[in-house]
Amino acid sequence: MKKLLAIGIFALISVYGFSQTQKPDSLKDVIEKHEGKLNALDERVLVNEADLSKLNKIKVSGYIQSQWESYGADLEKSNGYNNTFYIRRARIKFTYEALDGVKFVLQPDFSTGNLSLKDAYAVVNIPKLKNWTLWTGQMNRPDYEVEYSSSQREVLERSRVIKTIYPGEREVGVKLEYAGTKIPLKFQLMAMNGNFTGAQAKDFDSQKDIMARLVYSVKLPGAGVGIDFGPNVYYGGNLSKNNKYFKNSDGTLDSLKSVWKYLNKNWVGGEIQIFADVLGGMAIKGEYITGINSSPSSVAATSTMAQMLASPSLYNNFSGYYIYFVKNIGPKNQFVAKYDYYDPNTKLSGDAAGNNIYYKTWTLAWQYYLNDFIRISLNYEMPKNEINASNPTDKKDNTLGVRIQAKF
Amino acid sequence: MKNFKILPIMLVLAVMASLTAFSQAKITVKGSDTMVILAQKWAELYMKTNPSASIQVTGGGSGIGITALINGTTDICNASRPMKQTEIEKLKARYNTLGVEIPCAKDGVTIFLNETNKVSELTLIQLSGIYAGKIRNWKEVGGNDAEIRLYGRENSSGTYTYFHDEVVKADYAANTQSLPGTAAVVNAVKKDVNGIGYGGAAYAVGVKNAKVKKDANSTAYLPTKESIGKGAYPITRFLYMYLRNRPTGETKKYIDWILSAEGQLVVTEVGYFPVK
Repeated sequence: MKKLLAIGIFALISVYGFSQTQKPDSLKDVIEKHEGKLNALDERVLVNEADLSKLNKIKVSGYIQSQWESYGADLEKSNGYNNTFYIRRARIKFTYEALDGVKFVLQPDFSTGNLSLKDAYAVVNIPKLKNWTLWTGQMNRPDYEVEYSSSQREVLERSRVIKTIYPGEREVGVKLEYAGTKIPLKFQLMAMNGNFTGAQAKDFDSQKDIMARLVYSVKLPGAGVGIDFGPNVYYGGNLSKNNKYFKNSDGTLDSLKSVWKYLNKNWVGGEIQIFADVLGGMAIKGEYITGINSSPSSVAATSTMAQMLASPSLYNNFSGYYIYFVKNIGPKNQFVAKYDYYDPNTKLSGDAAGNNIYYKTWTLAWQYYLNDFIRISLNYEMPKNEINASNPTDKKDNTLGVRIQAKF
Repeated sequence: MKNFKILPIMLVLAVMASLTAFSQAKITVKGSDTMVILAQKWAELYMKTNPSASIQVTGGGSGIGITALINGTTDICNASRPMKQTEIEKLKARYNTLGVEIPCAKDGVTIFLNETNKVSELTLIQLSGIYAGKIRNWKEVGGNDAEIRLYGRENSSGTYTYFHDEVVKADYAANTQSLPGTAAVVNAVKKDVNGIGYGGAAYAVGVKNAKVKKDANSTAYLPTKESIGKGAYPITRFLYMYLRNRPTGETKKYIDWILSAEGQLVVTEVGYFPVK
């Protein structure tokens, strides 16, 4: 035991003596040592900051629309059910702002059974042309109701005319856009394939469709009123590959010079949105569109003359419009009444119209904004169809919908 | 279209909601850090003379304030830059109004230099070059042979956006250190002999303000009451309050007081410049 104690004391003295032989660091050494550490940390922070700034350029947003719908008896017959829960949309939008004036957008939709690419485009500010941007890729067609996001729209669905002439809302092409800062003017010009339905990757034909939209804004700040208005135009065509015969809107049969010629697809429109601060916000928004739409015959190239005459391509003079009345009630509630009209063939009415009948649709809706992220919508859509021999009664096709939207 | 029964239900709901929608207990103010000291002073003085009023002021940056206005989490948004068209579109979509813009003070965006810096004036092109990272050494603008160290604001700041849009007109240099608030920018420049910063005039304490001129042939100005009043200082801007709707009740009373001679005196006391 004494031996062990002696060894311990010796060891302690040795360690103490050794430590005494080391010179203590001078203050300068200590500062230099810490300065080095701080510089190293500083470099690491700068590297991290550079990495973080890259991440800051990526913005992720999105929304989920979960809803329940109840249908009228005629819709029940065609659907097989009179009510359902479903996911209307489930979208995530990725926006990467690579540089000042260079932006990439990618937006898939993950709703059940509908995994699809909604947006995939790049936006570039045109050098030396302030306020001009060039868009390329798959994007919304330039139209008010099309561009108005479904996450903001006050009723659950777009108008019948818009859904018919701009199916799926998107197109593939290039768009030139001017958004004035000094002049309150917006101009959009888009060249596109013209037949996009969301399924095919490339065009059906060689002709590119053109769409243009002009919107001028007037502000009357004293009255709390703002008015946006302007015209829009669509100029395009559908290739009739196998059948030169077509039926005019009035039902008369006509013919192109030969097959592989284009059927016209042209229309013009006008839009107006009036915003007024009357005991809270209020808006009246509308658009009218009229023109000719065409649908190419689907007969095979090997068809007989009789088959071609029996299934000609179709021309339809159409018109349609919609009008919204929206009233905000306090910061959380909103009342909406909407009326929309669509006649797919204005040249024919009554029994002669067959199934090309007009629809007049009233929609009443109520929005409740629970917080920044959640919106609850109650929506009642009441379509009224034209009555003729083919459609002898007003269809029981009213739809009641309740939607909960979570947005981030 | 067989059923219109839902219409009266909705109308009843609308009337009930209207009756409860406009009651307001307190005023919340959120936004610009540049304006936060001014807004706090206004609120403090107003509440002294109007004890029933309750005004809560927070900063965060103009971008944060505008987002809060759009999301409905603030009554008044303070912003040191005008609202962008995209932000107005969001207000339109959510509230069906264009918003109400109230210029409530003027500011000269001040260029802060360390007190030992030899440089005393800069042109707008030089400032753009410095913050875009094209001019990297003080000797290129008449100073010492030393690397320029850039201090700026975070991208939620209205001053960041205003300075970017009106002066830099390009991407900020990657080595610009983003700081939370003009006070932090001033503090950084105070300690860094080669530092440069920008921000609201009210914060310029313990640093040297650079004179600014439009181009090499123009007269250089400091941000003073006279130069800003005449519009001679090249980086003069308005400071704004934004609301979703035209103000009513206590909010209107408060804004009217801010724009009165008494409220505008506070602007001068804090270090900014009155609108009238």
